[in-house]
Amino acid sequence: MRLTRRSFVQAAAGSLLVSRPGFAQSPAKTMTAGQVAERIRANAGMAWRDKTLDGFKAGSPETPVTGVVTAVMATQRVLARAVELERNLIVTQEPVFYNANDEPGNRASDAIYLAKKAYIEQHGLVVFRFADHWNARQPDPRVAALARALSWEGPGTNGVFTIRETTLSSLAAHLRDRLQIRGGLRTVGAPAMRVRSALLIPGTTDVPAVMARLKDADVVVAGEPREWEVVPYLLDGREAGANKALLAVGRLVSEEPGMKACADWLKALLPEVPVDAVPVGDPYWSPLA
Amino acid sequence: MTAQEIVARIRQRLAEQGISWRTETVDTFKAGNPETAVSGIATTGMATFGVLKRAAKSGRNFVITHEPTFYNHLDQTAAFEQDATYQAKQRFIREQNLVVWRFHDHAHAIRPDPLVVGSARMLGLSPFASPSENRIYVIPQTTLRQFARDVARRLEGRAIRVAGDPDMKVTRIALGPGYGVPALTAGFDVSVGGEAPESGGNAEYVEDATTIGQPKGVIVLGHMMSEDWGMREVGDWLKAFLTDVPIDWVPAGEPFS
Repeated sequence: MRLTRRSFVQAAAGSLLVSRPGFAQSPAKTMTAGQVAERIRANAGMAWRDKTLDGFKAGSPETPVTGVVTAVMATQRVLARAVELERNLIVTQEPVFYNANDEPGNRASDAIYLAKKAYIEQHGLVVFRFADHWNARQPDPRVAALARALSWEGPGTNGVFTIRETTLSSLAAHLRDRLQIRGGLRTVGAPAMRVRSALLIPGTTDVPAVMARLKDADVVVAGEPREWEVVPYLLDGREAGANKALLAVGRLVSEEPGMKACADWLKALLPEVPVDAVPVGDPYWSPLA
Repeated sequence: MTAQEIVARIRQRLAEQGISWRTETVDTFKAGNPETAVSGIATTGMATFGVLKRAAKSGRNFVITHEPTFYNHLDQTAAFEQDATYQAKQRFIREQNLVVWRFHDHAHAIRPDPLVVGSARMLGLSPFASPSENRIYVIPQTTLRQFARDVARRLEGRAIRVAGDPDMKVTRIALGPGYGVPALTAGFDVSVGGEAPESGGNAEYVEDATTIGQPKGVIVLGHMMSEDWGMREVGDWLKAFLTDVPIDWVPAGEPFS
């Protein structure tokens, strides 16, 4: 769904003026966003880090929570969908305000930033970032979720999954189909190359980790490999006689199944409130399509 | 002339243009012996193994690269000294008597930035440069779809990615080199650059701007599809004062198939 400007304004106005049945039906036992965050911290599976990007990015922790949505990125469309679903706490993997620490910086007077900020305030939304700790859980829940989205069996070993033998181009088509990639899929390697095992690395890619684990895989399926790091390493490997390939699906696409898994995890953790995952999808399209 | 002497000439030329040498810089020798006698220079966006092979074959043993040689910004190799690909590349450099030097920070300091000049030239944007605004180009009105197709056709890039409403109107374009994709603002319609993180930046801004009804677009060319061309400009800049050594551009090219 893509909101037109008019429906956006109507949605904004409507939610201010019309009383919503969701509130009347909300359970007697309410939780604040702060209490939800407290429960997440207590169950994160590790000590909460002192230095972390995780935490509240917008809205008040005192807000009573009507429901939770998880999303890979708290885009305006995700916020509007949350309002539509009458959920006011958004748990996001990526930032809400266009840079890593969510400080507006040069955009402090920018119309888009201000509109998003105003929308959050008008609708009493709360945005909580949950990336550092979610991604650090062992085993990496993003890897398991991505494998499941691709119908790959088993827990994998160090992120490496044995798959039914196929070609690189067939595997690319499978990824495109299952992950609904629009334009973001990029390939290093020969299309006809035989593939029997795949290393899944959602999100960003660390070069030494790829080097160590790619020994056991034919192809690395990565989120966002940098083009001066893993990409030339794979290119050089091919020049040096190593027959390894890369399929880069995009950061958001690679982490989206993980945030659906995060919604399932939160459902079990928060029986008091409804929890849903809202998809974001591939932000990119290809001019060649 | 040795590679070391050529770098001294480059530093001297930069000083003449008012660019002082930085104390902290990635512009250092990355491989080979700086005392090696130079048979020819190859400039490139990135010293990939493929580029090194082509440079060696054409007798250009001094490779001047914009991006790293060994897979990270600082070319730190301690974590993978035993890696087979790394070792094969180092062996080839040794056997072929190559020298690799990085020209990044100070190349961007030249005015106008040759990396932006090269990209603008390839994109056909040079004639549309705004007379008053740095890195802004004002083109006859078109759509994002049409502009992106034109870009893809000109670069012959295979992995160019676009975010934004394909039908949005485009006249004002901001162009940045490599990882310096200009941050979108109200001041222009489309940002064009090489490579950018998907999170916390233009991709998110485009999505929100489109939803809010003030459409913006971003075109991510790919790092080499952005900066390879600029190293041809750097080659021309070198030719102006290094007349006694052959200089060729050896592009790294589109890495994606």
